[in-house]
Amino acid sequence: MTAASGLAASQHNPWRTTLPGLLIVLLVWEGVGRSMGGTYLLAPPSLVLLWLGDNAGLVGRALSATLSNAAVGFVLGNLAALLLAAMALVWPASQRIVTGVALVVFCLPLVATGPILRVMFGPGNGPQIVLAALAVYYTTLIPLLVGMRAAPASWFDLVRSYGRGPLAALGYIRLMASLPYLFAGLQIAAPAAILGAMVGEFTGAERGLGVLTVRAMRSLDVEMTWALASVATFAAVAAYWGIGALTRAVLRDAPPLILAPPRDDTRRGAPLLRAITGLGGVIAAILVLWGGSIALFGLNPFFAKGPWDVAHAVFWASDAAQTRASLGVALMGTVLLLVPGYLAGLAAGAGLAVVFTLLPKLAGTMMPLAIALRSVPIVTTAPLVVLLLGRGATGTIVLVAVMVFFPTLVACLHGLRQAPGQVMDVFNSYAASPLQRLVRVQIPAMLPAFFAAARMAVPAAVLAVTVVEWLATGIGVGTLMALSASVSDYDMLWAAVVLAASLSALGYAGVGLIESRILRIYAPEQLT
Amino acid sequence: MRPDVTHPPTVTCDSLGKTWKGGLAAVSPTDLVLHAGQTTALVGPSGCGKSTILRMVAGLETPSTGCVTIDGAPPAEILRRAGLSVAFQDPSLLPWRTVRGNIELALTLARHPVDRAAVDQLIMLVGLDGFGDTRPAELSGGMRQRAAIARALATEPRLLLLDEPFGAVDELTRQQLVQDLPRIWEARGTTTLLVTHSVTEAVMLSDRVIVLSPRPAKVVADIDIPLPRPRFPGLARTPEFVTLVDDVFAALSHGAAMADRTIAAQ
Repeated sequence: MTAASGLAASQHNPWRTTLPGLLIVLLVWEGVGRSMGGTYLLAPPSLVLLWLGDNAGLVGRALSATLSNAAVGFVLGNLAALLLAAMALVWPASQRIVTGVALVVFCLPLVATGPILRVMFGPGNGPQIVLAALAVYYTTLIPLLVGMRAAPASWFDLVRSYGRGPLAALGYIRLMASLPYLFAGLQIAAPAAILGAMVGEFTGAERGLGVLTVRAMRSLDVEMTWALASVATFAAVAAYWGIGALTRAVLRDAPPLILAPPRDDTRRGAPLLRAITGLGGVIAAILVLWGGSIALFGLNPFFAKGPWDVAHAVFWASDAAQTRASLGVALMGTVLLLVPGYLAGLAAGAGLAVVFTLLPKLAGTMMPLAIALRSVPIVTTAPLVVLLLGRGATGTIVLVAVMVFFPTLVACLHGLRQAPGQVMDVFNSYAASPLQRLVRVQIPAMLPAFFAAARMAVPAAVLAVTVVEWLATGIGVGTLMALSASVSDYDMLWAAVVLAASLSALGYAGVGLIESRILRIYAPEQLT
Repeated sequence: MRPDVTHPPTVTCDSLGKTWKGGLAAVSPTDLVLHAGQTTALVGPSGCGKSTILRMVAGLETPSTGCVTIDGAPPAEILRRAGLSVAFQDPSLLPWRTVRGNIELALTLARHPVDRAAVDQLIMLVGLDGFGDTRPAELSGGMRQRAAIARALATEPRLLLLDEPFGAVDELTRQQLVQDLPRIWEARGTTTLLVTHSVTEAVMLSDRVIVLSPRPAKVVADIDIPLPRPRFPGLARTPEFVTLVDDVFAALSHGAAMADRTIAAQ
């Protein structure tokens, strides 16, 4: 936590530390924007401000609609996370299933759940709120589960030694110990709620920033696109800083950065058997929830397809072979965009973190900016990247890379600071060069944070790629989902959702597997 | 018979043993009696299983063989009545509570009324006056341990379990505490179990020193300490004290040599 307090200190007065970096960005933006005048790509900040001044009423109404939906979703999603965490705590055996199902639901591509929710809810705020809730509950649930257990065993011994039970441990220890983790989760969740609400608006809402963004893109209104993106970014960054300020007001310690997923307290049987039964349990739970909720809510079978319908469409229907072929082509297209962008984002994030460590002065200026940009909703940047780089593969790859880049950078910088002080002292006492310290101490110390970021970046990258495909690219799973939604081919839409969620969940699990192997060597304390 | 928490209890260990999962033996089946109102020290080399015995007496660890009875009842009974306190090796102070808050937490957990003046007196006694409103993060290791001792004493336990309570305390303060603390539990009538690897500390504080062998712990010697109470600062320089310390040291080396022979024989 001590290392994180460095980050927190730089957030204490965000304006003083960020202003230089912000000014540079604005100046470059203005310069490039002016030189590109008339190309319909980039509007300079001066024109953006002018547009905002002319349309203040319109943007204000849209912003308040988006924010109120995001706020309701934020509250509901976090309540759901609290309930799930409580359930996992009261009944530890359920934790595997709870976290597994929570991950898969988190991996559902927002752009696909959006249209489905839209059909279910009709016009109105339902989809925006549900998507905002879906975007936040996972990032709160995981830190809560970690935090509830983030107390030394002797604290619980203390409670037991006075003859008190689990309830006293919950009240006096677990709740307090989990607060920093809860706030860390909430801070990430606040911008995510705005993102979720905007994706909901993309799917055909009546009001909101997302609605205006779609209109701006359709009409190729450059100033409007950039103005809306700026407003959404500003709102997200303000939400991030707002929760940060609340955290500092409530807590004495800076919130921790969550690295490892919560450990499993119910280890029984062989590891492989555990993995298989765990996976089987998660899949069974998802199928039951999926089919059950369709039956429970009596959803229209025309668009609400259950597991059986999807399996039938993909395996046994007369056009099953064709369906499988379309899905396969779409998957290939997505993977070809996803993997290069993901790897480039990881490499750039880790690389820049290393550069910042060697040049600490640069880091002081750029870090608060990077922390702020981490919270920029992808949806607002997607139209811009499409404007800048066209509808080809490059734009999509860049966007995925950007999506992965910022969290990786922030996590890696945190990780680099985790290098144990005493080991650093040993190196300093031998007059080791900064490079030697970097290679032998700091980079190994960074690995846990790097892999945690890499794992959490998988769903984000899949989200990014499907959003851009949905909006622009014309290939991949996102496009397939957009097409199937527009021609009401709901079997195909649901199959594409399953495909994208599986891709995301499998990628997450795969990175997690590599991560646990690396952590076993470099940070065994994160695993036990 | 139920343990009566208004009187110091007798603790009986019947062939008490502990083997960890995976077969590592921590404590060989051991018979021990802690007499009511006495202070008994468990002395032995690091990692010999002393703390494990203490944790089994506290009911925090389940024995693999044998059992602990406190006035004829299992430890759960005295736990239920909040009649015991443990000062843990790691001070285990909650970081979001002040020194006072941590001490008051023990009273709350034990469902005792919180008496502010009594808490102040305890804080003074362990030499932390002026630090009552300080959080653990701002204290030194020794100060944290003293806060933990104060917390353990706060509930006026009839059974006090001290697990290397002075490990991080500096030498001068330790001497002071070794003088002052026993007065509290002597005055109240407390059965005390002290786990330590400091021989002089054990002799200075206890009525009886039990010497344990290297792991798995076995009783090597049971030495009475018939020194007058209250113990006074000059006591450590008396021939009686020095002889007793020598006896304990001799038993410790004997235990270590026996363990070496056992290993050699295997």
